[in-house]
Parts: sequence; C-alpha cells; structure tokens
Amino acid sequence: MKEFESLISSSINDTLASLSFFESEGILIAGFLLIILSDLFLSKKYPQLSFTLAFAIVSLVFVYSFSLLTIQPKMLFGGMIVLDHLAVLFKILFGLVSLIFILFIRLNKSLQQHDKGTGDLYAILIAVHLGMNLMAMSTNLLMLFLAIEMVSLGSYLMVGYISKDQKQSEASLKYVLFGSVASAIMLYGISLLYGFTGSLYLTDLAFISGLKNLSPMVLSLSLSLVFVGIAFKLSAVPLHFWAPDVYQGAPNPVTAFLSTGPKIAGFAILIKFILLLQVIQIPSSLIYTVLASLAIASMLLGNFAALWQNNSKRMLAYSSIGHTGFMFMALFVAPGQDYKALIFYLFIYILMNMAAFLILDEIEERSAKQNINEYGGLGKHFVVLMPSFVIVLVSLTGLPPTAGFTAKFLVFSVALDAFNTSGSAIILIMIIIAAISTLISLFYYFKIPLYAYLKDSADFEIKVTFSAKTYLSAFLAFLLLLLIVFPSLIEQFL
Amino acid sequence: MLSLLIFLPLIAAIIILILPNRLQNQFKYIALGVSLIQFILSLFIYFTFNSSALYAGINKESQFQLVEKLSWIRLDLGNMGMLEIDYFLGIDGLSMPFLILSALVTIVATLASWEIKTKLKAYFSLFLLLNIAVIGVFCALDFFLFYIFYELMLLPLYFLIGIWGGIKREYAAIKFFLYTLFGSVFMLLVIIGLYFSVSDPLTGHHTFNMILMMDPANYADGSIFSAVANLNLFGMPARLLAFIVLFIAFAIKVPIVPLHTWLPDAHVESPTPVSIILAGLLLKVGGYGIMRICYSIFPEAAIQSAWWLGLIGVISILYGAFNALAQTDLKRLIAYSSVSHMGFVLLGIASSTTEGISGAMLQMISHGALSAMLFFLVGIIYERVHDREIASFSGLAEIMPQFSAFVMIAFFASLGLPGFSAFMAEAFSLIGAFNSEQVNGLLPRWMAVLGSLGILLGAAYFLWTLQRMFFGQTYLKGGDDWRLKLKDLNLREKIALVPLVILTLALGIFPSLLFDKMNASILAFVQLISS
Repeated sequence: MKEFESLISSSINDTLASLSFFESEGILIAGFLLIILSDLFLSKKYPQLSFTLAFAIVSLVFVYSFSLLTIQPKMLFGGMIVLDHLAVLFKILFGLVSLIFILFIRLNKSLQQHDKGTGDLYAILIAVHLGMNLMAMSTNLLMLFLAIEMVSLGSYLMVGYISKDQKQSEASLKYVLFGSVASAIMLYGISLLYGFTGSLYLTDLAFISGLKNLSPMVLSLSLSLVFVGIAFKLSAVPLHFWAPDVYQGAPNPVTAFLSTGPKIAGFAILIKFILLLQVIQIPSSLIYTVLASLAIASMLLGNFAALWQNNSKRMLAYSSIGHTGFMFMALFVAPGQDYKALIFYLFIYILMNMAAFLILDEIEERSAKQNINEYGGLGKHFVVLMPSFVIVLVSLTGLPPTAGFTAKFLVFSVALDAFNTSGSAIILIMIIIAAISTLISLFYYFKIPLYAYLKDSADFEIKVTFSAKTYLSAFLAFLLLLLIVFPSLIEQFL
Repeated sequence: MLSLLIFLPLIAAIIILILPNRLQNQFKYIALGVSLIQFILSLFIYFTFNSSALYAGINKESQFQLVEKLSWIRLDLGNMGMLEIDYFLGIDGLSMPFLILSALVTIVATLASWEIKTKLKAYFSLFLLLNIAVIGVFCALDFFLFYIFYELMLLPLYFLIGIWGGIKREYAAIKFFLYTLFGSVFMLLVIIGLYFSVSDPLTGHHTFNMILMMDPANYADGSIFSAVANLNLFGMPARLLAFIVLFIAFAIKVPIVPLHTWLPDAHVESPTPVSIILAGLLLKVGGYGIMRICYSIFPEAAIQSAWWLGLIGVISILYGAFNALAQTDLKRLIAYSSVSHMGFVLLGIASSTTEGISGAMLQMISHGALSAMLFFLVGIIYERVHDREIASFSGLAEIMPQFSAFVMIAFFASLGLPGFSAFMAEAFSLIGAFNSEQVNGLLPRWMAVLGSLGILLGAAYFLWTLQRMFFGQTYLKGGDDWRLKLKDLNLREKIALVPLVILTLALGIFPSLLFDKMNASILAFVQLISS
C-alpha cells in the first residue's frame, strides 16, 4: 500500500495542474447545473432566463477558446485528454454551432410554445457541448466512449423533445435504437482493442506496439467495429440510413444541430484514428483506399438520393450525407500536416447549414410549406429571406461568389495534392466523382429557387414581417459573401 | 481603371437595391447611365492603348497595360505550400477589343430592357451583376479570379432566363446552367492541377498567375502538367487531357457542335436583352478563353489537336447553317446562324496563322455587334405582336420600312457582303485556314473550302428569310389587329441600332481600326503557340 502513496500525491498534483486547462469544460459543467436549477426555481418569474444563461455561458466558452489557440499540446488528467491546437479549433467550431443553435431555439415557435418549455433543452445542449469538447480532446478509448455516449444521449433527448405526432416519435425511437446498437458495436471494438493490447491510451506505446503485432485480420475487424460508431455520428455511408428519417422528424433547430455538431465531433475522432493508423505504419495507400471508397459511396448516395426528395428537410439531410463524403476528401493529408482545409470547410459548412435550416424553419412557420414543390411564388413574399436562401444554396453547391466555393476549392486542392504525391487511381476517381456530384447537387439545390422564383402559383396571402430569424439568416448569408473576399478572417486562426 | 470599369455596375446595383420600388421606372436610366460611362471609359482605353510590340502582352507580364495587382488570398497550407491568389487585372491586344464590345452590347441590351415590365429591381440588379462578371472575365489574369468571374456569369443568367423568359424558360435556364457547369467543374480541377505544377519564380510559392503558367520554365519537375515530365493520365498525356478539358469547358460556351444544344433553347426562351448579351458577349468568352487559356498555356497540345479543332469548326459552320435553313422561328434561325458564325472563329484559331487569328478576333467583335443587332430586331417584332414565326409575316417592308431597312443591313452584313465587318472577318479566317497547309501544315485546304460553303449557305438562309418575310404580298397572320400594332421603329430603337451599324461598317471598311491595335499581340500569340 505504501508504495502508492507517492503516486497519489503526484496524481493529485497532475489533476490540479490539469484543472487550469479545463476551464471551458468547468464553466460548461457549472453552467449545466446552473441552468437546471434556475429552470426549476426561477422559470416562472423569468421565462427566458435559461436562454440568457445558456447564451452567456456558451459565448464565454467560445471567446475563451480563442485564447487557447497558440497552446502547446498538453496531456491532461494523466493522459486521458489532450489539449492541442486542433482540439481548440474543434472547440471553437462547437462553440459556433451551439451559439447559433441557442438563438435558433429561442426563435423557433414550436419549441417556444410547447408546454415543456425550453429550459431543459438548453441544459441538454450544454451537456452535449461538453461531450463534444471531450470528444475532440480525449485520447483514451474509454473517455472517448463516454464522450460519445454523452453526445448521443443528449441528442436522443433533443430529437424527441416535442414529439407531437407519430412521425417525430418514430424518428426519436429510430435514432435511439440505431444509436445504441452503433454504440454497442463500437464498445465491442474498443474492448477487443483493449483485450489485445492491454491499454486504452491511444498514444500509449504499449497500445501502439500491441496493435502493430496484431494480425491484419483481427486489427481490421476491431478497427471496423470502432469505426461503425464513428460513421454513425458522421452519417457516412453505410451508416447513414437513420439520418433522413431523424432529420425530417426532429424539430428544425435540432436537425440543424445534428447535421453540424455531432458530425463535426465525429470528424475530430476520425482524425485521431487516422493519426493512429499512420503511427502504427499501416501503408497510407490502404488508408486512402478505404477512405476514398467511403467518400465515393457517401457522395454518390447522398447526392443521388437528394435528387428525388421533395421534402426540403429530407433533401438537406441527404445532401448533408453528400457533404460528409466531400469532407472525407479533406482528410487526405500526409502525416504531420494540419487539417486546415477540413477546418475551413467545416466552418463554412456550419454557416451554410445553420442558415439553410433557419430559413426553412422561417418559411415553414410563415407559410406552413415543407415541400419544395409548394414553394411556388414564395420569392415574391420573402424579399429578404429568399435571396439569402439562394446565396446559401449557391454556397452549398460550392459556386462563386460565396465562401462555399473557397471551401470546396481548398478540399479539392488537398485531394489533388494527395493524388499528385501518391498517384493512386482511386483518389483521382474520387475527385472526379466529387466534381460530378457538384453538378448533381446543383440540380436539387436549385429546385428551391426554381420553384420560388421561376414558377408562379395561385395567389395566396402570407403576412411576412421581418423577424429576427430573417435577420440572422441574412447575416449568415452575408458572411458567406464576405468570406470569399476576406478568407483571412478565418484563416488567421487556423 | 479596370477595377472601376468592372465594379461600377456593382455600385449601381447597390443603389438600385436600396432605392424604393416606387422609383422602379428610373432604374433603367441608372443602368443605362452606367453602361454609357463604361462605354466612354472603354473608348478612352481604346485611344490610349499602346499598340507597339513592346506592349504586346500575351505571355510577358511586364507588357500588359493598365495592370492592377494586389495580393488577395494567402493561405498557408502546410507542405502544400502557400496558396497565392492575386487580384490581378490587365489587358493586352487580345482582351482590349472585348472591353469596347462589352460596353457597346451592354448599352444596346439596356435599351432593349425597356420592354421588361415586371420585377424591375431584381432584373436590373441581376443585369448589372452579369455586366460585372463579363467585363471581369476579360480583364482577369489570375486564373482563380478568372474562374470566379466566369462562374459568376451563370447565376444572374439563370435567373434572367428563368424569371423573365418564355414558356419553357425553366428548362432552358437549367439546361444552360448544367451545360456550362459541367465544363467548368472539370476546369476547376485542371486549375488546381496547374496551380500545383506552377510556381512563382520570385516567391517560390505556387501561383494562379496565368501568365506564369504560360512559361514552361515555371513548372516544377515531375508535376502533373510539366511538359518535361510528360505524365500520363488515363493513358493520355496529362497536358493533352488538360487541354481537352479546358477546351470543352470553353467550347460549350462558344458553342461548338455537338455541345451547342443549350443555345437554341436558351435563346428562344430568353427575353431580348438577355439574348443580346448571350450572343453578343457570352459566346465570345468561350473564344477568348480558348485563346487566352487553352492555347497560351498548352500550346503544344493545341497544335497537336489543331486538325480536330478545325474539323469541329467546319462542322459547326455547316451544321449551324443547315439547321438555320430549316428553322421556322426567326429567333431560332438567328441562334443557329450564331453557331455557324462562331465556327469561323474556331476555324481561324485552329489555323494558328496570323491571318486566321486576326480573322477570328474580328469575327468575334463583328458577330458580337451583328448578333446583338439581329436579336434586337427580332425582339422588336416579337414585342409588338408576340409572334416570330417566319410564316406569320409577309411583305413587312411596306408596313415597317425603317425596320426593314435595318433588317436588310443586318442580314447583308451577316451573310458577308463586302463592306461590312463580317466579310473581312470571315475572309481573314478562311485565308488563314487556306494558308495553314503551307505555313504550318496544320489544316488541310478542304477545310477552308468547306468553310466557305458556309458563307454560301448563310446567304441562302438570310436571303430566303428576307424574301419570305419582307417582300411580296403583305400578309399578317393576325390581320388588321397586327397591322395596327406593327408600328415602325421609335427613337429609342434607332438609337440602339445606329451605333451597331456604324461599328460593323467601320470595321468593314477600316478593319485596321482593330487590326492595328491588336496586331502586336496576335504576332506574339502566334509566336508563342508555334514555338
């Protein structure tokens, strides 16, 4: 017993030292409790208190993250989590997602008018935000699993938050069932890895050498099991099937959140595993082949399926699968390089996707229209909203003069560079398919302006007042225009 | 100066967006004012343009005029190097003529916009945006910037055709968009490939500077598009493949047979001003791109493909002309005549001789003016009676004498009557094609012979139309009602048509007005591609 005494003090010291780098998460934990308490006791008197608190907390964490950008990589809590530049960048992205999401909840009528109130939703969001931060930072498989589960549980609750009708209940149930199965499979993979190596730390030497000694068959089996959990979060093919139903059934703000936050967190984890594969000297051509086939599958399926959709949310759901495939291309960087193109793309993707769902939501609230073929003549009524929508859709397609083009361009550059250095044919095929899928995406994205502007419909009266949501989405659309002229606004942080 | 020329419409567009809707009848005057200022600026550029061989441009950055170069995007991409994108504008003899043409055609198109009656705010904002993109394309010397302007043309056009167009407008708009995007998405890949192959000798960073891409010395060893390394992609030299991809992207715009099918649809469904811009300027972007980019960056691939390009040119000339003969809709006829006339451009370029390329340039300017005129004239008749079937009219010369006079001028000019610009242009293109066998052995003589057959066919369909619609017994499908509606030209219409007549006459009688200004550049261009 005695010999552990020295260890105790050192581990306490380590924990205490780590705490000072854990401030954002500390704030989130405190904020989570604060919101629950305030919602319990003060919500009658100040109905919007939870909103104010959540917004203040997330803003604080968001701004605080910027001060950590120049940090040297630091192992915290005995190597459970690591805080480095990339993790901080992801944390900033999560902060942006949460901020827009909070505003979205505040502005969404069906959530605001629900008996349950929105206090709990903010609390859940803070918890999920914490989980995503941990996902980006963890280097321990157990920690990783806990973080993923934290995000998943919160997401399940969000999807079913106001299950009004059967469709929404079905969506949330589907999500829970598929999600739990994916988690279980991932956990099985993790346990296999632990069993073979005796370690859970991704950076541990025992872990790495243990993996190196595994037979390729076993290694690929256990890694694929782990990957199932990640792909589920990414909504990448072949684990995409839940996305359209859940996206369509969930409340609009939640869909906007699901298609950005957890997906981005999934990329944070995916990067960790790719780095791991590079460390254990899996030939990069093999990694590239696997990634490229997944990217091709996601792009083809997402974009072709989106073509046939009429419900606008479902269309965006499929297109987000296509975007996942596209983002895969940004992972093709040689060992030791930054993921600048990916982060840039993710940043723009957040802006575009959030704006798209904000606008959809506003249209749905004002005119009760959810299907694209009912959008006829809406351009006349929404004089600010529809042009913003067009800008956002142009950006989602990846055409100038929007930042979506710059993002797409950077990703193409990364992929072409990878082809240039490796010369592998599948990368070239992937790039060509990405180019073709841009063309396909034009078809379905432009169905919206096609109906809104080019087709007239029977006259109907909509009272359109300029709402906060309109301004917010117009602002996001403006950012998309601004960022193509001044990409350095983002680039300086990368 | 060039920035002013490009972004002046942006200011006007913002003003129009801010102004309240009740002032919407004034918007056209703002747009007209802007295009007039642009025209004056472009005339100023024309007169101050230095045409000596020391300012030939083409592949020497120091020889470009009115250069503006600002560093724009610098993104550090790890060991992929620094992303170096400049805001880089400049003109030489290849681009300068298009500035005048753009300004002139825009004025005519603005005057044609008088007939647009709905959603004026949106219309003029989009129209001005299109104007920015077109002039930007002709001035940009950074490939990234060029691409942005190039793509920027699509969006306003999509909406201009789609909202203010005819019955099948949605189909025409998306067809046009998809065709062009198909070309340009793959062009983007080639651009990125070029970017990784070329580095700026001064800074050592990779660059999008088009002019640096024209110098083989700037290509890194072993890069995809290095001429020395000569890599293969899909069993084909990478540089040849890149040339073909770029050529297809621009050829869709020109358009060439068989990639032309978007053009008749887009023209027929477009409102008159959009048809004017489309035929007068956008087709020229294709020709300009082929010269500035395909030929200048991949000269050896261009020489290698010259025979095919010439063949495509001849097929376009003949196929377009035969199709024009078969049309019953006047606007469709003119659309197909555009395909035929743009074939001469391709034939001239493919010949790679000084005469051929001068002819191609002159043909682009001449066709820009003439097609603007033709579409304007069709628009006049369509605006009055909403019909443009050739068979619905006969003996128009009696009812509308002035209109008929302008139509006759436009038709005779287009079919290549000596004294008009098209004659000079087509003659030079054909001379170039004819001499090619002897000068550089690229094109066989029969191509020139077949090409001249196109002029004959042109005479046939124009004269036949003239005879059917304007001469003979007066007959109108709509009867007396139409007779009342078919008033002769008003002042606005004459103001729009006269400058175009002047331009085509001036270039027909004094082609040196243009040749002198661009001769140095064309010589440098020919030297670049044949060396």
